[in-house]
Amino acid sequence: MTLRSLSAVAAVIDVECAKLAAQIKVRLLLAVCAAAPFVFAVVMRIQSSVPSDTLFGRAIKESGFAVPLVVLGFAALWAFPVLTSVVGGDIFSAEDRYGTWKTVLTRSRSRAEVFAGKVLTAIGFSCIAVAVLALSSVASGVLVIGPQPLVDLTGVLVPPSQALIRVVLAWASVLPPALGFTALAVVLSVATKSSAAGIGLPVVAGLTMQLYTFVDGPEMVRQLMITSAFGAWHGLLSEPPYYRPLVHGALVSAAYVVVCLAIAYRMLRRRDIGG
Amino acid sequence: MLDQPALEAAGVSKRYGNREALRGVDLIAHPGQLHGLLGPNGAGKTTLMRVLLGLVRRDAGTVRLLGRDLEAAPGSVADGVAGLVEGPAFYPYLSGRKNLTLLARLDDHDRSRRADCIDDALEQTGLASQAEVAVGAYSAGMRQRLGLAAAVLRSPRLLFLDEPTSALDPAGARDVRAIARRLADEGAAVVLSSHDMSEVEELCSLLTVIHVGRVIFSGTVNELRRRAPAEVHRLRTSDDDAALRLASRRNDMNVVRIADGGLEVSADLEALDSYVIALGRSGVAVRELERRARSLESLFLELTGHGGAAPLSTPAAPDAADRGLESVSMS
Repeated sequence: MTLRSLSAVAAVIDVECAKLAAQIKVRLLLAVCAAAPFVFAVVMRIQSSVPSDTLFGRAIKESGFAVPLVVLGFAALWAFPVLTSVVGGDIFSAEDRYGTWKTVLTRSRSRAEVFAGKVLTAIGFSCIAVAVLALSSVASGVLVIGPQPLVDLTGVLVPPSQALIRVVLAWASVLPPALGFTALAVVLSVATKSSAAGIGLPVVAGLTMQLYTFVDGPEMVRQLMITSAFGAWHGLLSEPPYYRPLVHGALVSAAYVVVCLAIAYRMLRRRDIGG
Repeated sequence: MLDQPALEAAGVSKRYGNREALRGVDLIAHPGQLHGLLGPNGAGKTTLMRVLLGLVRRDAGTVRLLGRDLEAAPGSVADGVAGLVEGPAFYPYLSGRKNLTLLARLDDHDRSRRADCIDDALEQTGLASQAEVAVGAYSAGMRQRLGLAAAVLRSPRLLFLDEPTSALDPAGARDVRAIARRLADEGAAVVLSSHDMSEVEELCSLLTVIHVGRVIFSGTVNELRRRAPAEVHRLRTSDDDAALRLASRRNDMNVVRIADGGLEVSADLEALDSYVIALGRSGVAVRELERRARSLESLFLELTGHGGAAPLSTPAAPDAADRGLESVSMS
């Protein structure tokens, strides 16, 4: 890739960021990511019961580090497919909705550069959304509940500094599948030219994959479910820790990213921009 | 000797399924010239513009823009080439100025000059006072002006204008024509498709007529005019029978009675003048004389099969006359 191409991709990212910054839904989503964990932590502190059927739910009043892990478990089920699709599932189809492909593609940037800029913007937004949710979860747990030691999944007491590192690593471990969902949203956005499909179908796909875990289906299929990678962090909070699910989840996620983006680029490159 | 062509398209073909949208289209435009692109609805004008701008992939043919093959930079439009494609579209939640700012960023405009260039484009297109308004609140005419501003922003040496005055009021259309003419005067090649035959006649020195994806005429306006049939006028007199008898003694015109009353006269202006004078001398008063189709319009309608089966030398066909055309809407 030449310096000119890098500069071109940077220009596209710049433009996409300016467009996102002007959209209320994007700002609202980030605000929800920042505020929701605090609301959750305050409610947990006030109420007498705890979400005991959730991983680390029993410990939520005993250690603030349990809060980001409970939020992580919930987000893996519901929030990540939405968070990572909101921009990825709309960033291409919005051009179809507004009829602006002919405006964008008659400037000095190639389709490859436009594609790269949009994909990197979508990936960047997904990372930011996950990071905001992670930071807010950790901050709310520590500030509202307190930085007490955490009992891990094998019953070992983990000191606060170690607990913080493991919580951060656990959140970092969901980035690969989150990017896999972003890539899935991108390909659906390009293929369907519909933002509803681009945002909605990854959520449906995520729920379907979650449901499949309850079905006695082939193990091979289960191994290919990207949602499995959202639970790979459990190994980080065990003694001794185990990493195989993390590696497997990262590989499956990488495969989703490569395949989805390759298909999306091929479709965009070959598309005739009509009226 | 003419300069190197700004646009050279040869044998351009495009097929959508079983339908041939373009069939071996050739088009050449030179710097400093306004080249008109005419054709009825579905003729392939917009498809051709989209092919030339790289929005639609062609199945065959070669395209050179400003001396460079279209494939030299696949998927991007060469610097100096700009287009206003049918129904310009922008981000409705951003202001006109913000839209142009983002497009300038995509064009890699020098940051220090970007604001000045945008101000200049807004000023030229008469949008300066509305620049901060969200595009979602723009009328179709304002979006058309913004589309032109976006094209002007690229300082084009080759400019494609696809029906640029279609959504504009007369003042807006006049401004667009002035900009197109100024750009051509400054050396740009301008390829313009238009709804308005009179606009193309007024602006363009060269014409290409497309019908069913095929070029059916290419040449100067004067060449087209030489092939044009006589103009058609509707005539009402105090004694239509006498007027018909008088016309039957002349061989320089064709006069027929029409269904809604009165006569239809197909003749060039010189013959028409002479006929009107003769009517007066014979005691037949001319109560109404209205032009119904101009010669180029008549020819265009014949060329594109909208004028019935009449050969080129015959007067305008009934459906042309039926529209009472001063300027014919073609696409």
